[in-house]
Order: sequence, then structure tokens, then C-alpha cells
Amino acid sequence: MATMLRSAVLNPEAYRTVRAADGAKTGSNGSFRSLAPRLDTLSDKTVYLVDTGFGGSGKFLDQVQAWFAEYMPSVKTVRRRKTGNIFRDDTKDLWNEIREKGQAAILGVAG
Amino acid sequence: MAVATCSRTLEQEYGIPTAPVSTYEFSGFMRDDLKFHGIPLRVIYTPHPVVGMPPNILRNYIEGKDPATQRTVIEEVIEALTKPVSEDECTGDFAPVSRTDVRQTLLELDSEDNLQRLFYERGWTDGLPITLPTEERVAEMLTGTNRLADEVVTEIFLHDTQEYLQFTVEMVAIIGVMAGARPEHLPVLLAVASTGLPSIPGSTTPFACMLLVNGPIRNEIEMNSGIGAFSPRTLANSVIGRAWTLLTINWGYFRSKKQFWSSQGNPIGYGNMCVAENEERSAWEPFHVQQKFRAEESVVSIFRGWSFVNNVVGSSTRSVGEDTCVLLGAMPGLFSSATLILDPLVARHLKENDGFESKLDFARWISENFKMPAGQFWGTDLIHMMMAPLAEQGVEPYASWKKLPPETLIKPYNNPEGINIVVVGGETSPMWKVSDFAYATCASVDKWRPKPASDGCTDGTCGLPDDP
Repeated sequence: MATMLRSAVLNPEAYRTVRAADGAKTGSNGSFRSLAPRLDTLSDKTVYLVDTGFGGSGKFLDQVQAWFAEYMPSVKTVRRRKTGNIFRDDTKDLWNEIREKGQAAILGVAG
Repeated sequence: MAVATCSRTLEQEYGIPTAPVSTYEFSGFMRDDLKFHGIPLRVIYTPHPVVGMPPNILRNYIEGKDPATQRTVIEEVIEALTKPVSEDECTGDFAPVSRTDVRQTLLELDSEDNLQRLFYERGWTDGLPITLPTEERVAEMLTGTNRLADEVVTEIFLHDTQEYLQFTVEMVAIIGVMAGARPEHLPVLLAVASTGLPSIPGSTTPFACMLLVNGPIRNEIEMNSGIGAFSPRTLANSVIGRAWTLLTINWGYFRSKKQFWSSQGNPIGYGNMCVAENEERSAWEPFHVQQKFRAEESVVSIFRGWSFVNNVVGSSTRSVGEDTCVLLGAMPGLFSSATLILDPLVARHLKENDGFESKLDFARWISENFKMPAGQFWGTDLIHMMMAPLAEQGVEPYASWKKLPPETLIKPYNNPEGINIVVVGGETSPMWKVSDFAYATCASVDKWRPKPASDGCTDGTCGLPDDP
């Protein structure tokens, strides 16, 4: 029979949680925050295809662009690479351009 | 994850409807992220992976099914941008995953075998047996510092739960005991912990780290900087390196597909290339002095990257510099970062025979003489991921490099100060290692030490056990 240790053993995971990160925000009524208003249709709209920079994302969005050209040619697509660091939301120029010249965005591909 | 973060920004701050696309492998991460941030992004999933797939497969992904919903991906994309937002979509359980439960400080008394099993099954170890952190052992470990047991050493941020966790001196001491460390090792562990850097960063890539110790404490705690310094032979090197990974594990970084994503992993993580610089036999100033520390100060320095290659028999046909360039050809040249680990024989040869008066002199030579075709540089996915945005923003020299014909030679190590040089080895042969490791940070050990340093070792081999 195994012998019991005579001394107590400390838990290596007994750390303290300090606080949640600042991003922990929810809607004032306890619900999710709402999304931006959606478009009635994509026809005649400009959709930005934003490559966030992960491997293969650009080629995937090339195919999305080709699909729109073939099946929904009235949709104007603009292929762009996210500016700034691949891991951060440090982009302003492209987001401003999308607000100014576009109506929607497809972002990808996470993975 | 940038796709979710950027989509949130576009939705909330710019009023732009978005269709974020992720591979299905990251659906759990995405769900945690959406839940935490309380924004019901309409994420569309493709099969995994996307990287490396030919165009026809990617087209099939678009026209095929979302593995999460079994609906057509492109239809979901269109719907994500055009279907009106409903009230139902904005309700639900959005609370972040909480780790605020009060954790038991002492475990239930049990047998050694059962507790070893418990530690393993709870995911608190690296898979190898540990020394159980009993109250007595932890108290003994704490004699290695004059800091209070409850002093906070670092705060760790967990991406998946979006929380900050506090780690105290006592918790680092617990980990030190588990790794087999002695009290005299604790100041080094505290210095490492104080950086808040994990030995295995959360990434799908096989990240690895190197832990370098400089200054008098190297010899006081019998670290090996000489013969076989990177080999599994010396207590201080082994237990300090191991302790860093045990810290990382217990910071919560090893929960698969939460913080831990490395697809293949990296065996360097067992010991983290923990080593001391052979300052006594080096021809140049120690690394910590290059970082503006005083020579008599003890310092830990952390390097991060993925790979290293060895020169295995010295270099008689080409110069050391030329051979180093050949070895660097296997590295991506990311942000001009590399770390060269030279045996003291190599360092002295470079100084005395090749005329490099300092580490930086040799780094400048490498910077000037290593060349790579622009097409090879930009064709590396890591470079495309990390550096192409700089080119696009007009940052030089990347913007100019991006415009060059693929066969044009460029000098990727354009910043010599990004080429780190460390002297380690036992002088049995003039060999060296070349790695893509970048210098990350350093931290003083002395603030965690109970007493000033003393030095007795002169050849860097203090930590070696006696030969049988």
C-alpha cells in the first residue's frame, strides 16, 4: 500500500485572477452589442476583400473575387491586404478607405 | 485573432457590415472570442487548412459547405452582409469564461504516486516526473530570495478567457521545486518569470526560446557555459530551463486549442536552450553588457525563434563568415533577426585572425555580405505575413525590395544590431550554431537575490559533474 506523504503539497495553479481585460463589454441591456446595419443587396455595391495576411488568405480571396465576377458581376470587389501588423487591429487607412469607398467587407482567412 | 478583432472594429466603429471567414479548426477560439466581446459576428467557416491549397480546392471551399452549418460558404458570406440583424441575434449567453473561482492552495494529502499522477493528469507538468512541492520544500526554496512570498512577480494575460492572472514569488518557488531547482536558482527563475514571457508562445508554429544567463550568478549557481553546455548534463542549466516551461504550463499556456496551438511542437521546449555565456573565454564583451548592463550585474536574456542549424566540423575551406552566410540561407531573415552562438575558439579566431574587434563588427560583416534573391525572400510565407505590410506602407528598404525582379539579390539582415552573437562552448572544436532567434528581452537577476555575487569559475565549466 502506498505511503501517504506527511507534508501538504501546494497547488501550482492557485493563482489569483486580477481582472478581466478591457474588451469585456456588452450591451447596456445585457445583450450582445448590435452589428452594423446590413445592406439590402450587394448589387452595384463595392465589397472589399481584405486579406488579413495568414497563409493562403490572399489566394482564397482571389477565388471569392473570381466567384463574384462570374456569378454576381454587378458587385464591385476590391482586393486589399490589411495594413499594419498581422496580429493587431492597428489599421486606420484601409478602414477609412472602406468607409469612404465601400459598403461591405469580407475578411479572411483566420487559421 | 485579427479577423475577429478587425471585423469588430469595422462593424462597431465604422458601421461596415462584415463577413469574417475562418477555417473550422479555429471555431472554438472564435466562439470564445465572440462570447467574450459580446458582438455576434457572423463568422463563416471553411474546411482547414487554407494555406497551401491550390485554386481549385479553394474554389471548392467557397462553393462547398461550411463544416459548422452544412450551408454553402458563399451563400453564408452574402447572407452575412445582407440579412437584417434580428433581435434574437443579439441575445444569448455572452459572459466571458471565468476563472475567478477560489483555488485551493493546499492539495489533499495523498501518496507520492497518486500526487505525481494528479499533477500529470491536471496538466501541471511537462510529462516527466516532478519533485512534489511540499510546504517544507517550497519554504526552503523561498530562502533563495529576500522577497516576500506574496509579492507579485508578473501578470499573465490569457487570450481565451481575456483575463489577467497574478503570479507571486511563492508560485514561482513552487514551480522551481517541481523542476528540481535549488534555492540558489530561484533568483534566476524570478527574473525569467518577471518578463512575463512564456517559453512556448501561443502559436500554431513551432516556436522555441533560448534562455541566456550572464554575470556572476552563472558561476555561483554552477551553470555550464563550456563543454556541452547545451547538452542535458548540468543541473542548473537543466532545471532552470525546465522550470521556465513548467511556469509556462501553469500560466495556462498549454491548454490545447485555447492557448496552445503549436501543430508539431518543438523539443527545445523541454529545456529552452538554457545556458550561460562563456564570458571568461570570450574574445568580446558579454551579451548583457551589450544590452547596457554592468558586467558585474547578473542578467537573463530571452531569445525567440524557431530553428537553429549547426556548423559541425569547423570551417577550413570557407571563412567563418562565409560559412555563416551559407547556414543563414536556411533562415527566413525575418526583421533582420538572427542569433549566432559561437564557441570561444570561433570568437577568438574572428577577433585575432579575421580582425573583428567586436561582436557588432562581425554582425556588420554578415549584414553586408549575406545576400538572398528578392523572390526567395518574399516567397517565404512568414516574410509575406509579417513584412509585406511594411512594404505596402512604404517602409524602406522593404518597399524598394518588393519592386525588385525576383532574381535581384538583397541583404535581408539590413540591421546588424538585429544579429545577436553569444559565446558558448568548451573549445574542443571551433564550431558554431546559427539560429533565426530574435532577442526578445532581458531582466536583472540581482533584484531577486538575497546577497551580492562572488565569482570563482574561470573556464565556464563550473556546473559540470565530476567525470566518473
